[in-house]
Amino acid sequence: MDTTSTAAGAPRGRRAHLPRLTRQAPTGPGAVRPDGLRRAPADHWPKYLAISPFYLLFLAFGLIPVVFSLYLAFHRWDGIGGMEYAGLSQFRYLLTDSQFWNSISVTVQIWAMATVPTLFLAMVTAVLMNSAVRFKGFYRVAYFVPSVTSIVAIAIVFGSIFSTEFGLTNAALRAVGLDTVPWLNSPWGIKTAIAALMTWQWVGYNAIIYLAGLQTIPSELYEAARVDGAGPVQSFFRITVPMMRPVILFTLVVSTVTGLQSFSESQVLLASTSNTSNAGGPDNAGQTMVLYFYQQTFDNNDFGYGAAMAWGIFLVVALFAIINWRLVQRRER
Amino acid sequence: MRRVVGAVPLSRRGLLRAGGLGAAAAALAGTPACSVPTGSTGRQMTLWYWTSGLSDKVVGEARRKFTAVDLRPVQIGGYFRSKLLTNMAGRAYVPDITGLKGEDMASYHANADQFMDLRALGADALADRYLPWKWRECITSQGRMIGFPIDVGPTAHYYRPDVFERAGLPTEPDDVAAQMSSWDTYFAAGRRLRKKVPGASMILGMTDVFQYAIGQSTERFVDKDKHFIGDGEHVRHAWDLAVRAKRMGITSHLRPGSPDQTAALAKGRLPSQLNPSWWSADLKLSAPGSKGKWRVARMPGGPANYGGSFLAITKYCRKPEQAFEIITWLLDADNQTRGFTDAGLFPSTPASYTHKAMRAPDPFFGGQVTVDVFGPAAEKIPVAYNSPYDVAVSQPIRDEIVNINDLGKDPDDAWRDAMSKVRRIADHLGVS
Repeated sequence: MDTTSTAAGAPRGRRAHLPRLTRQAPTGPGAVRPDGLRRAPADHWPKYLAISPFYLLFLAFGLIPVVFSLYLAFHRWDGIGGMEYAGLSQFRYLLTDSQFWNSISVTVQIWAMATVPTLFLAMVTAVLMNSAVRFKGFYRVAYFVPSVTSIVAIAIVFGSIFSTEFGLTNAALRAVGLDTVPWLNSPWGIKTAIAALMTWQWVGYNAIIYLAGLQTIPSELYEAARVDGAGPVQSFFRITVPMMRPVILFTLVVSTVTGLQSFSESQVLLASTSNTSNAGGPDNAGQTMVLYFYQQTFDNNDFGYGAAMAWGIFLVVALFAIINWRLVQRRER
Repeated sequence: MRRVVGAVPLSRRGLLRAGGLGAAAAALAGTPACSVPTGSTGRQMTLWYWTSGLSDKVVGEARRKFTAVDLRPVQIGGYFRSKLLTNMAGRAYVPDITGLKGEDMASYHANADQFMDLRALGADALADRYLPWKWRECITSQGRMIGFPIDVGPTAHYYRPDVFERAGLPTEPDDVAAQMSSWDTYFAAGRRLRKKVPGASMILGMTDVFQYAIGQSTERFVDKDKHFIGDGEHVRHAWDLAVRAKRMGITSHLRPGSPDQTAALAKGRLPSQLNPSWWSADLKLSAPGSKGKWRVARMPGGPANYGGSFLAITKYCRKPEQAFEIITWLLDADNQTRGFTDAGLFPSTPASYTHKAMRAPDPFFGGQVTVDVFGPAAEKIPVAYNSPYDVAVSQPIRDEIVNINDLGKDPDDAWRDAMSKVRRIADHLGVS
């Protein structure tokens, strides 16, 4: 958020100063335009210097690896020896790799199972927090804590909660007389456990964003609605939800981006003690795209294929990003 | 409001993040860590190992002993292999001496030129002091010796005599080994256990049986000539054994490494576990309350190896003779004995097995001298060729074992599915 807003603000600021600057006669070698409206980048070096740390870091840890991964995707490489040009064969294999397609479907399923309850519960929580009279600050902190907790620690705790014999979930099921579920030994159990973990982790974060949105809705609207005879349910659906639509879309976009990249959840929750690689449990039910990518790259040392798959994942995420973008664009018109 | 939700910067951010994924693969070749300068002054010699990969005391002594170089031991945390690969691919800050984990050894064999040939430094003279099969794992098919043996992981049968007694099974290690010398007799004892002690399972899951039965054979999944042999008799045998254990109802439904397994170990509901020597440290940690209740016996069907590691000298080392002197000292029989007492590393030097420090009775195992079981097992490990493609090619087979174990999938369907997936992967990797 910060970086995008400064990037958007910079040109506007510069244009505002230009008229004053043009009054001085441009004499330096950078002054090329006779109308003086634009100066060579060299004259702006202090500003470029000021923003350079981000770009240098991005170059080293963002752009170069991205470009290299594209190069790598056209090769076979075991991580140590020489690279061997492989043409499009990695991509061809990717398209026909049923396990990759399975991992896309697993990821989307888990994402849907996590996002719907997350956003719903976040809205409920935000409305409750908004109307809370006491301990407001405490609630906000308490709900935010999960999203800054180490995912590894969370996954270990959830591993205990969902363990078959001595887990809390099954103890609760037993207490109300229901059959227990072998959570982490069954495909839907695994997906439910991962989705529950993600929900728990992200409800608070989204609730804080919703809360901020709720507080920008003028109270006059609610008062007017009350005067017109609207009940709380009606004003929630007729005022709160429409006013909050942009915020809801924002949280949806963020959840999509994080949800499609879920990895640590399955990696820790479904890890076993043996040194065999983590394939996401029975039926590869918890094998998300990134988990499968990790297995191919770092367990099988198939770096070329891993890079090709990373680009496959990129396309999937890009597709969802475009869908989101279109959704938001339509609303803004 | 709308400006906050501006979609373009957000999705651009999403794209960048997605690009970050691609970056993950490439990060391996990225900029190297700069905390470990090496070789620059000529006197420094870095040694990379992982926590409990060597005895810290022995390493500390080596620093004081070898003063001709400035030995800098570094414990690398996290995923050791990927950090080593990163620096090797970047050709910078590569350690002079490095630990290599046994399960990664096959992939290092394929890149033997990255390491000094220890035979050229005179390793052959020391060969008879080490376990022959372990020594052979150090040598590539071209005859280069790229690693030096640290520890081994001979497997044994851990069991609880208190529960075995209730099932009417033998309780003394020799008797247990005699009655359960083969998988068949072990399974039969498992059936008896299930009948006499309700809720107790002999075997954690099918994966254990499959994995150790493969470990007991002299073949894996891909042979020296890059041919696929994962549909061979040895794999079929291991598969059938695992399926039989499941059908006999002597496997548990517990997930390996789960809190459930830990609880079952403590409560005696898993009174029998097939595991390597280093597992005793895990057991002592996870079930401290069961101290004195465990024993170890010889493994049904013969010993297998699981784990163990090596020390190597990289090609970037400027003083290989010095480095060789250091690693041979670090890993001589006396110091390997200390590796066992300090870090639970089971020595690859048979001379250690008769050493007093290793023959100390272990109170956790009721005063048993466990080296009497692990020592002979270590000397009888079958030699097999490990291919760098084994992991990738065997993955579908191991996945299907899990599907039978957890979901009750039909074994014939599972085998067919495994084989069709394996064929695709083998094609992709150029395994014929």
